[in-house]
Amino acid sequence: MSPQDEIFAELQKIPWFRGLQPKHLNQMAEIASLHRARAGEVFFREGDKEDNVYVVLEGRVALDIFVPHRGKVRFYTAEPWEVFGWSSVTPTVHQRTAGAVAVIDSFVVGFDAEKLRQLCEADHDFGYLVMRRLANIVASRLMVTRLQLLDMFANPPEMKND
Amino acid sequence: MTTLIDTASHHAGHTDQLITPDWAEIVRITPEADGVTTFWFKFTSPEVQARYRFAPGQFNMLYLPGCGEAAISMSSDPDAPDRLVGHTTRLVGNVTKGIGKLQVGDTVGMRGPFGTCWPMAELEGKDLVIACGGIGLPPLRPAIYHILRSREKYGKVTLLYGARTPKDLLYQNEYETWKQADIDVQVTVDRGDEAWDGRVGVVPMWFYHFRVDPQKTAILTCGPEIMIRFVIYEALARRIPAGRIYVSMERNMKCGQGACGHCQMGPYFVCKDGPVFPFSALEKFFNVEEF
Amino acid sequence: MTDQQPSIGSTVALAKPELDGLLADLRRGGFRTVGPRARDEGIVYAEIESLADLPRGIQTAQKPASYRMTQTGQNRCFDFIPGSQSWKQFLFPPRTELFTARKESGKWKLDENIEEQPRYAFIGVRACELAAIEIQDRVFMRPDFTDPVYRARRAGLFILAVNCTHPNDTCFCTSMGTGPAHKAGYDLCLTELDEVFLVQVGSELGRSLLAKRTFDLPSAFVQKNAADALESAARSITRTLDTDGLPELLMDSLESGRWAEIGKRCLSCANCTLVCPTCFCWDATDLPDLTGKTARRERVWDSCFNLQYSYMAGGNTRPTIRSRYRQWLTHKLSTWKDQFGVPGCVGCGRCITWCPASIDLTEEIPALRAEVKK
Ligand SMILES: Cc1cc2nc3c(=O)[nH]c(=O)nc-3n(C[C@H](O)[C@H](O)[C@H](O)COP(=O)(O)OP(=O)(O)OC[C@H]3O[C@@H](n4cnc5c(N)ncnc54)[C@H](O)[C@@H]3O)c2cc1C
Ligand code: SF4
Ligand code: SF4
Repeated sequence: MSPQDEIFAELQKIPWFRGLQPKHLNQMAEIASLHRARAGEVFFREGDKEDNVYVVLEGRVALDIFVPHRGKVRFYTAEPWEVFGWSSVTPTVHQRTAGAVAVIDSFVVGFDAEKLRQLCEADHDFGYLVMRRLANIVASRLMVTRLQLLDMFANPPEMKND
Repeated sequence: MTTLIDTASHHAGHTDQLITPDWAEIVRITPEADGVTTFWFKFTSPEVQARYRFAPGQFNMLYLPGCGEAAISMSSDPDAPDRLVGHTTRLVGNVTKGIGKLQVGDTVGMRGPFGTCWPMAELEGKDLVIACGGIGLPPLRPAIYHILRSREKYGKVTLLYGARTPKDLLYQNEYETWKQADIDVQVTVDRGDEAWDGRVGVVPMWFYHFRVDPQKTAILTCGPEIMIRFVIYEALARRIPAGRIYVSMERNMKCGQGACGHCQMGPYFVCKDGPVFPFSALEKFFNVEEF
Repeated sequence: MTDQQPSIGSTVALAKPELDGLLADLRRGGFRTVGPRARDEGIVYAEIESLADLPRGIQTAQKPASYRMTQTGQNRCFDFIPGSQSWKQFLFPPRTELFTARKESGKWKLDENIEEQPRYAFIGVRACELAAIEIQDRVFMRPDFTDPVYRARRAGLFILAVNCTHPNDTCFCTSMGTGPAHKAGYDLCLTELDEVFLVQVGSELGRSLLAKRTFDLPSAFVQKNAADALESAARSITRTLDTDGLPELLMDSLESGRWAEIGKRCLSCANCTLVCPTCFCWDATDLPDLTGKTARRERVWDSCFNLQYSYMAGGNTRPTIRSRYRQWLTHKLSTWKDQFGVPGCVGCGRCITWCPASIDLTEEIPALRAEVKK
């Protein structure tokens, strides 16, 4: 299998890509690259310049933020078929706001974010599909963040007479 | 009032006792996590010990003289040969912290079992998604034990369990046994650290990643009310009927007999019409604030 | 004077002083006779021994947040409308000792309170009050659970009922279908006229007690007087509560802005629940002794207006007054029916009279109705 065929085969496993027109699938395959990462391997660090948006094919990728005195805090893990590094597709953010690290041995596909943005600009129908997907991702992340923010498993505040 | 979940066979029948407890002795103490402990009890009266039975999802009122009572679900195997009654307890207030200071051999008062159960017989043949968080797993553990005993009677079984941090996860040494019995154990925490190689996220997001068959899936959920709400939103969005989403609710309760009034939720007394409800019964007022 | 024996269902005329003999017989029979007494500025229910203990010649005027007694000088013992107290204090006592836990050589033991329950004769139960007792019967004596204290007291109970002839402004029993005249459920039922009581016999116990008294067959004149008095009493009740579709109306109004409006006025004082003859909520508390070796467990009245009523380790279910008032009213008039087959209100008006903020459920329901119509 040529590298390009392999990319194509992997993309077709991802549920969202199955709904794309062949033309669009081809375009995506052209800007894609596959990465295998060992557990602990870093995809990007907070502050890095943004280049790729990723989809996990196998494994688990953690997103973390370094908090002084607390170390790295993991606030999300991306599982197979999940997207990470999505903010690189948005027009305004230009550096990574979190780090991404393979928690276990992982296999991911990356898409050149700059080229993806150009594709979306050139073909608004395609751009709509991408942005719709992105909106879904952002909505689900927001839900997760909100629930985490509520700290719903925290113990109740101590009673006054304690 | 119509019966929502039939638990008749697990009740002692008619009661005319006003909150009079039996005594039970602590025979074992298992620390589970920071501030969470399982106490294993045996009734001091051999007659009560021989008679006592409960169904998954039911609870007891534990009584610490001088302090008061607290509703705590059974977390043990209802069919265990030793018939010990296990209560996994979060030590948060007067009664639970008081019990936390006791030692093996000490006695507490115990009344029960109360309430409705997870409808395990009705659920046979179904795919089960057990979605729970924090101290919501203990009331579901008897249901898991029940499934383990008759695994072939159920379809796909998935356990979604969320906790605050990895060290708050309860019963960690049992997940392997459950997985071996073909239960898909999906554990997630709100906050991970670098040593944690599991998931970070929340329980409801699981629904984004897996397909459920709305025709044959039932949801069993217990945990913070906010988590339950989001599990329900996701389940309903996937067209699982409200009548097949089972929810365990929590309210202040004093008697366990639908007599003291405290646990009311609309037409229901959570202590006797619940704690396990089909969501269809709660739908009308579930989102009414402070109801 | 007649030598005819009274029978169940029959009506006789009893000279007023004969009531003393009836009370004496009841007391000899082991009953504690409790009835109305004028005390301080109101009518209370307390132990009575004779006619002389009753509030003779007293009428009452009740309005939202107002209760006044006046002397009429008339020879009437039951002309008033009851005060804040109801009979529930005797069947469901405000404080009941349940048991004492005792620690002996490291183990807890239990001394059950096996005190014998008193046998009461209620003297002067109004129609709405009897309806309230029957509602509490449904709460405390269910197929799956019976409250032993309530059952013992209720089983031994003797009820001398009285028909109301001077309803007050806060009464709305006619709307709730409970009064002002009695229908059934009593041992004996009085209608008071100036000189005599007209007595209806409702039970064998009532009949046998009456048989020992000197009585007459009522003349047509006396009977007409009594019937007229009851009819004019019913007519004089102008306060109404439209119960049509009420349970549904309340469940459809859970998100109404009206609750917040009431929440601004309500003090959450719990008066309405304590005076209500059907409210049944209770709390259980432990009273440990100083050594920590014994603890007395008691049941005490509670109220859904108390903040800790819905307290949970995770927080309070109903932290605002608006949500607590909503709980109270929706329970009374809607969900009570789901739970016990009847509404939890008998139209006695106590919650209107004794609310310091003049909150009046017969005003609130039409307001909610108007909102739904909009
Ligand atoms: C059906 C059911 C099943 C449950 N199962 C479990 C379980 O398996 N494991 C578990 O850990 N928990 C369980 N719970 C929760 C448990 O009952 C509560 O955590 C309970 O509150 C613990 O009692 P406590 O006395 O220790 O704490 P508290 O509730 O804090 O104190 C007890 C009482 O003191 C009073 N009180 C305390 N603080 C205040 C305050 N600030 N203001 C007013 N009043 C106050 C209240 O009247 C309260 O009821 C369950 C609850 C229910 C309803
Ligand atoms: S709700 Fe008010 S009017 Fe109705 S029975 Fe209770 S106190 Fe009387
Ligand atoms: S409605 Fe009136 S009586 Fe009832 S709690 Fe509020 S202020 Fe008190």
